[in-house]
Amino acid sequence: MISVSHISKSFGEKHVLRDVSVDIPEGETVAIIGRSGSGKSVLMKHLIGLMQPDAGTVTVDGIDINAITYAELRRVRRNFGVLFQGGALFDSMNSFENVAFPLRTFTDMSDADISKVVKDCLAMVELEDVGSKMPSELSGGMQKRVALARAVALQPRYIIYDEPTSGLDPETSNTIDELIRNLADRLNVTSIVVTHDMHSVLNIADRAAFIYEGRVHWTGTIEELHHSDDQILKAFVTANEYKIGPS
Amino acid sequence: MVPLTSHIVINPVAAFGRYSRLLFHAFGAVAEISSYRSNVWRQMVKVGVESLPIVILAATFSGAVSTVQTSYQLVSPLIPRSIVGAIITSSMILELGAVVTGFILAGRVGARIAAELGTMRVTEQIDALETMGLNSVGYLIVPRVIAGVVMFPILYIAACFFGIGGGMLIGELGGFVPFEEFVFGAREYFQPFDPIFGIIKSLVFGFLITSISCFKGYYTQGGAEGVGRATTQAAVASCVFLLLADLLLAVVLL
Amino acid sequence: MKISNEIKVGLTIIVATVIFILGIRYFEDLPLFDSTYDLVAEFENAGGLIGGNIVRVNGVSVGSVTSVYISESTGKVVVEFHVDPTIPVTEGTYATIGGFDALGVVRMDLTLGPASAERIPEGGLVDTRVTSDLMAEMTTRAPAMLTNVDSVLEELEGVMAQANAMVSTPESDIRQILSSARGSMRQIETLLADESNRIARILAHADSLTADLDAALGEDGEAVASLMDQMETTLATLNEDLERFQATNEQLDEILRKLNDGEGTLGLLLNDPSMYHRMDATLSDLNALITDFQRNPGRYLKEMNLVDLF
Ligand SMILES: Nc1ncnc2c1ncn2[C@@H]1O[C@H](COP(=O)(O)OP(=O)(O)OP(=O)(O)O)[C@@H](O)[C@H]1O
Ligand SMILES: [Mg+2]
Repeated sequence: MISVSHISKSFGEKHVLRDVSVDIPEGETVAIIGRSGSGKSVLMKHLIGLMQPDAGTVTVDGIDINAITYAELRRVRRNFGVLFQGGALFDSMNSFENVAFPLRTFTDMSDADISKVVKDCLAMVELEDVGSKMPSELSGGMQKRVALARAVALQPRYIIYDEPTSGLDPETSNTIDELIRNLADRLNVTSIVVTHDMHSVLNIADRAAFIYEGRVHWTGTIEELHHSDDQILKAFVTANEYKIGPS
Repeated sequence: MVPLTSHIVINPVAAFGRYSRLLFHAFGAVAEISSYRSNVWRQMVKVGVESLPIVILAATFSGAVSTVQTSYQLVSPLIPRSIVGAIITSSMILELGAVVTGFILAGRVGARIAAELGTMRVTEQIDALETMGLNSVGYLIVPRVIAGVVMFPILYIAACFFGIGGGMLIGELGGFVPFEEFVFGAREYFQPFDPIFGIIKSLVFGFLITSISCFKGYYTQGGAEGVGRATTQAAVASCVFLLLADLLLAVVLL
Repeated sequence: MKISNEIKVGLTIIVATVIFILGIRYFEDLPLFDSTYDLVAEFENAGGLIGGNIVRVNGVSVGSVTSVYISESTGKVVVEFHVDPTIPVTEGTYATIGGFDALGVVRMDLTLGPASAERIPEGGLVDTRVTSDLMAEMTTRAPAMLTNVDSVLEELEGVMAQANAMVSTPESDIRQILSSARGSMRQIETLLADESNRIARILAHADSLTADLDAALGEDGEAVASLMDQMETTLATLNEDLERFQATNEQLDEILRKLNDGEGTLGLLLNDPSMYHRMDATLSDLNALITDFQRNPGRYLKEMNLVDLF
């Protein structure tokens, strides 16, 4: 259970988040939606203590992550897998090493076991053959999928996806959506999906939080989203539907 | 007036504060050796072994050039030629060996470290390390600083060896100072503390260059342009603080 | 084969460390691999000796000073040094400090004891002797030396004064010689300056003349020779004629006197036609010479010029 309550964050004069509160219940998949530049990635970084709020608290499993020591924070973070918007693969390592990195660093697994897990993870994102390729030799979408494989390699309890499907073709997007749903269902993973792709929101999310001008403008279940008559939310959703076409 | 004060006083003080905090953080992470052990070896190769050729080249030439120029200037029949050996050897051991190596490393290693860490910062790789529960300072900065502190003295020794060797060689081959006279002069004025001083100096230089460059790279902001800025600043700041440290050490230790 | 990072780094560090240690030993003048022969000496005064200064035996560098310090117990200067282990530092060996402190070139000299004596053991004490260094020597001898220098300077001063007087007195020989020499030189100088053109011209002239003469002698050597012969005979003849003419004149004088005196007769003169004939021949000879001269004046003028010049 992650609980964000009343956090504000500004960079100099720029107020990015104002009094934002979001609850992410155990085992659920929550979509954080909003227009580009609305502060979704900033909010996401607060969840794992990469940014400290100017005001408000973030608690993970009841622990205020800004009130604990760095060593404790790192322990909390090991429960998370994060897919960054740009992939954030280590460009000094090839794809295999990238996925193997958390396994090598945090487990005592043998090389053979690590190799097996890495292959499974890469197969999951349909990239069995790229193990020996460096990140710079991969396309943007492929980098993102390898990064996804890395994020799930340690089977974390929480997975944060920052725009997992942006920049991917519709078919691969669907595969990723399916993967996210599978992980959530099978392993009871709590997922936070930051996205502006309404198609995948409707596919995978249980709940959604709509960020608008630095505030949580709307929050509710997907069912409620369908029936909401909030104008701004509707505009955002229909703009999306118009883009991807009626389904 | 206010922007000027903030530019000249507050910004440097704030930067120094952040630098100290980063170092403090890094020292705290030194104990987690298991997380960065293989990184240390890799950085030692990059900082030390791969810098050897350029350091050797620069040192050999500066030793040779100093020999030629010193012999050119010492034309008085009252001064024995062996003094050239003494001058080259002691200036190489006391100053040139460490400073020439320092400048090369500031450019070669400092800029590379800042660019590497800067790119990792702007492409969220550092965030990725952090979210995995790794101490990114320990993982990225500690091995680089250790590599600098360990390998810089090694490069210094190589610089002295090849610098003095280059001086001897050109003295003998160019007919400026015969080998025996060179060595005689070098021995006459040799102080056993000099190479110790040089080693101390190179330890400090190695620490300064790597830690300043890590600091600049680690706190990079603003995309590719920011990386470029961090790289330049790292090289320049390393050189400036290297010279300051040079002066300070000379005043304190000699 | 891929060399692992550990091996690369390890090798580099080991090689550098070895170079560092051997390098220091090399410049400290220690044998690179052997152990050293360490000895100690005690002095009242180190005279500027410091660690790293060389140790010599008979002028040969055999080791160096390790450290110099003041003993806390005795207050003496303790000099630790090491030498090549092959040097027989036997009992009876003593050390002195030499060199030139002011220039920072101080060294320690060992004078070895007899070869038959026992060697001083490792770390043993070597006797010392005091030799005053160059500076001290100079200081002690300075007053005497200065008097000497003083008298020499005085003498030198006298000589200089004499010379000066000699040069400055107007009547002195030196001065006259000098001034006349100076005058001569100046004259020659102006002469050379003034005449340089003329001399050049004369030389050029002489040159062409000599060349002409050469040519003439070459081509018409015989002609000239015969001409000269002719001229000679002509002149000789002329001379004879003139002599005769003189005699004639005397005779004429005599006749005229006699005539005046009334001695002889005019008929007598007229009855002697040979005189007339002889005069006639002389005149025609002279005439021929003059005609030749007129027709070919160059020949004669050349001779004249040549004569003129030399
Ligand atoms: N480190 C930072 N320093 C200053 N400003 C920042 C920083 N990070 C984010 N911002 C600002 O905060 C705002 C929100 O950025 P954020 O990355 O959260 O947007 P986003 O909602 O994720 O957009 P997108 O969908 O395009 O990724 C932006 O205007 C950005 O300029
Ligand atoms: Mg974003």
